[in-house]
Amino acid sequence: MVSRAKIKELMNESACSHSKDKKPAEGCNMPKPGLAAGGCAFDGAQISLFPYADAVHLVHGPQTCLGASWETRETLSSYEGRDHTVMGFTTGITTNDVIFGGDKRLEDSVDFIVSEYAPEAIFVYSTCVTALVGDDIDMTCSLGSERHGVPIVPVHAPGFVGGKNLGSRLAGEAVLEHLIGTKEPEETTPYDINLIGDYNVTGDMWQYLPLFEKIGIRVLSSLSGDGRVGSIRTAHRAKLNVIVCAKSLITLCRKMQEQYDIPWISVSFYGKRDTAFAIREIVKALGDEQLIARAEEVLREEEEKLEARLKPYKEIFAGKKAVLNTGGNKSWSIASGLQDLGIEVVATSIRKATADDVEKAREYLGPEGVLMKTPASQQSKVIDETGADILLAGGRSLYTAIKKKISFIDVNQEKKVSYGGFEGLLNLAEDLNYAFNNPVFANVSKPAPWKGK
Amino acid sequence: MEAEKRIALSKHEHKPLQVNPIKHSQPMGAALAFYGIRNSLPLMHASQGCASYTKVFFTRHFNEPIPMYNTSVSDITAVLDGGDYSILMSIENITKKNKFKPEIIGLHTTGLTETKGDDVRSVGEHIELPYCYVNTPDFEGGMESGWALAAKALIEQHTRPSSQIKPNKIVILPHVSMQPIEIEKIKAFCESFGFETYALPDLSTSMDGFFGEQQGKLGQGAIGIDEIRGLGESAVVVSVGTSMKKAAEALLEKNAAIKHLHFDHLMGQDKSDNFVAELMSIREIDPSPAIKRWRGRLQDAMLDTHFLIGSSKFVVTGEPDMCVGICELLQSVGGSIEAVVATVYSPILEEIEADTVFVGDLEDAKKHFKNADLVISNFHAERILHMEVQSHAELVLRGFPNYEELGNQLKSDQLYEGSTYFLFEVANKLQKVKHHG
Ligand code: SF4
Repeated sequence: MVSRAKIKELMNESACSHSKDKKPAEGCNMPKPGLAAGGCAFDGAQISLFPYADAVHLVHGPQTCLGASWETRETLSSYEGRDHTVMGFTTGITTNDVIFGGDKRLEDSVDFIVSEYAPEAIFVYSTCVTALVGDDIDMTCSLGSERHGVPIVPVHAPGFVGGKNLGSRLAGEAVLEHLIGTKEPEETTPYDINLIGDYNVTGDMWQYLPLFEKIGIRVLSSLSGDGRVGSIRTAHRAKLNVIVCAKSLITLCRKMQEQYDIPWISVSFYGKRDTAFAIREIVKALGDEQLIARAEEVLREEEEKLEARLKPYKEIFAGKKAVLNTGGNKSWSIASGLQDLGIEVVATSIRKATADDVEKAREYLGPEGVLMKTPASQQSKVIDETGADILLAGGRSLYTAIKKKISFIDVNQEKKVSYGGFEGLLNLAEDLNYAFNNPVFANVSKPAPWKGK
Repeated sequence: MEAEKRIALSKHEHKPLQVNPIKHSQPMGAALAFYGIRNSLPLMHASQGCASYTKVFFTRHFNEPIPMYNTSVSDITAVLDGGDYSILMSIENITKKNKFKPEIIGLHTTGLTETKGDDVRSVGEHIELPYCYVNTPDFEGGMESGWALAAKALIEQHTRPSSQIKPNKIVILPHVSMQPIEIEKIKAFCESFGFETYALPDLSTSMDGFFGEQQGKLGQGAIGIDEIRGLGESAVVVSVGTSMKKAAEALLEKNAAIKHLHFDHLMGQDKSDNFVAELMSIREIDPSPAIKRWRGRLQDAMLDTHFLIGSSKFVVTGEPDMCVGICELLQSVGGSIEAVVATVYSPILEEIEADTVFVGDLEDAKKHFKNADLVISNFHAERILHMEVQSHAELVLRGFPNYEELGNQLKSDQLYEGSTYFLFEVANKLQKVKHHG
């Protein structure tokens, strides 16, 4: 079961910027009734672990938990075996299991999965109902592991303990407890790192991994983008943990530092500056002079190539201004990308942003930039005042853009291409170019004939 | 299918888990029903996750902003609170924060809040706004029953009993798989017979893909609480889909003089003919010229498509009320139904004449895909059919979810007109299969 003490520990993680301005007991975990929005802890746990394509992810709960969400994530995998990330597995418990317990059903499901799909591991997720009725998932998993000789990992992140962020931490705990350190790697190098918290959405990782390869940085394991259970089990032999844009997994990295003496750094790969900065940080942390020199060489070459390809776009975008209204790390990461393309970002949203995010947003936008606390009501005015040319926001803001007769990109929509790394910047440029040139926004803003003059 | 054991149609599951499920949960169906009510606040009595998944699911399916709220039950309130506190505080917090006044609160439960046994009925005494509660644990039933239960609850809890009848007033109770445009078309059909027409729920102005200032913060359906209250004066109630029968019966409780017409579905010539015959006899008028014209077009379509469809095998998956209509229409032009894989059990499934009919998932359906020329299923079937089975069969997307196609809320398969388009769509896809072959 998931204990209150464990949750308290995770929520009060000192490395988390959420907790700075809160009283210790509060943590991040006290939703006001009616106002909790976004995914639950179970959702967060799944997001963190789901990219393991060689494992089966079994959701022990009723229909809502999995029925609506399988095969919706664009986390790409290069796994050559059967890719379980595009599949959905749930015990789909019924009234009977609520009354008599769902342990037997879970046990039978595990047996079924092993015999039909022979995965490298099974992650079993508890959910609100199965946690409430007290199914002994730990027991069923450990007996199953013994019976079948594959790791069966219980993940205790039922939705009602909190939001996605907490779920992701709990997933990290499960991996640390059950997988990391259970296998030795076939070979190691002094340049081995673990990538933590990049889920390879739309192939984000693949935008920067080629740079790693050129420089000679080796990814020993990933949690969990394009990851394999077999390699995360060897993660304890890495020289460095690299957290990619995922504060929720800091606890995991801190514990790995304590247990295995692996230092960690936190980076992001959005835009040119961040990507270059990230790579410099990684090689610096690995501390090999030759590697550092090689990194500089590769970066110089690649940046030059990138600049040449960005040049035509920069000419088109010269003088353009953008207003950005999106949440979380996107509030500064997309800003950074836009700036790399020569677009002035005049405003961004800091609604619900953490202290870190606000700081970063200010750093990127400069003293003149508008940081919008209530973007829904502010953005219209900001567009007028700044003469912005484009609004990048969620679908609900489309009406504002049309009313203001400016271009629009839905940044919250499930994207199909990556904006990460150097290559992703070109994808962003492409999308912007289409948006600026598309007459649809002007056309839709025309008044209806019955609307008078 | 010699070697493989057939799965029988049963209320009991044939395996301990679902692999690639097609079933969606009851609370999701209830939420969708409340989107079909004007200025309603769909409030899921749950932890945030269930509501979040529901919101994302419908946002992607309809490409619309989705109003969805939850009572934020946590592991602590789950133990300490019988539901009253979270429900009342939620309504207060949500209305204060959004500065709106909903015309009705649509509270629906989930597995979690049913397991802890909250009494969601009596809390209504403390709510000043009109309030409708519906028990929709997600370990029972499915989306189809959740939607139907919400419609029934709205009638039971809000429709005024009456002994009066307005002779030209009709109310349609559509099953969950009907698209916004389908509800609008059926309403227009009735209106052309001179009826004052209502639908419950009515998504025709809600998920219909409409660009305007509406922010999607409350349900945008075409029927409001006042109209629901007055449904007891209807002359006729038409339930479409077996799942909606109980809601119609609930309305008869309010006024025994209401005439109840039930249709398992409204696809194809037979059902459309029966529907028209009933409306004609009630209103004692002839159908409009347009309706007559469409019947002829449907017949022409049946003749034009019968060769392709008549020589083809189909696998259909989805909610029972949708499957039964599709099967009957295809069979009316000679199509052979290889298998029907339904989300949940419904007695109507017993009446489908197909080689195999059962309740299952896409892992089960997959076994039948290799024998099909065309599959009618949701978005998830695409990858399984073409990547896993590597079949040349074509896919027609119907049911939830459809993340692939845009504009599916404006596609009608109902009555003469919609059935005509449906047959052409199927036949055109089969054309490709046959050419491949
Ligand atoms: S909140 Fe609980 S019941 Fe709902 S989806 Fe999350 S884990 Fe499942």
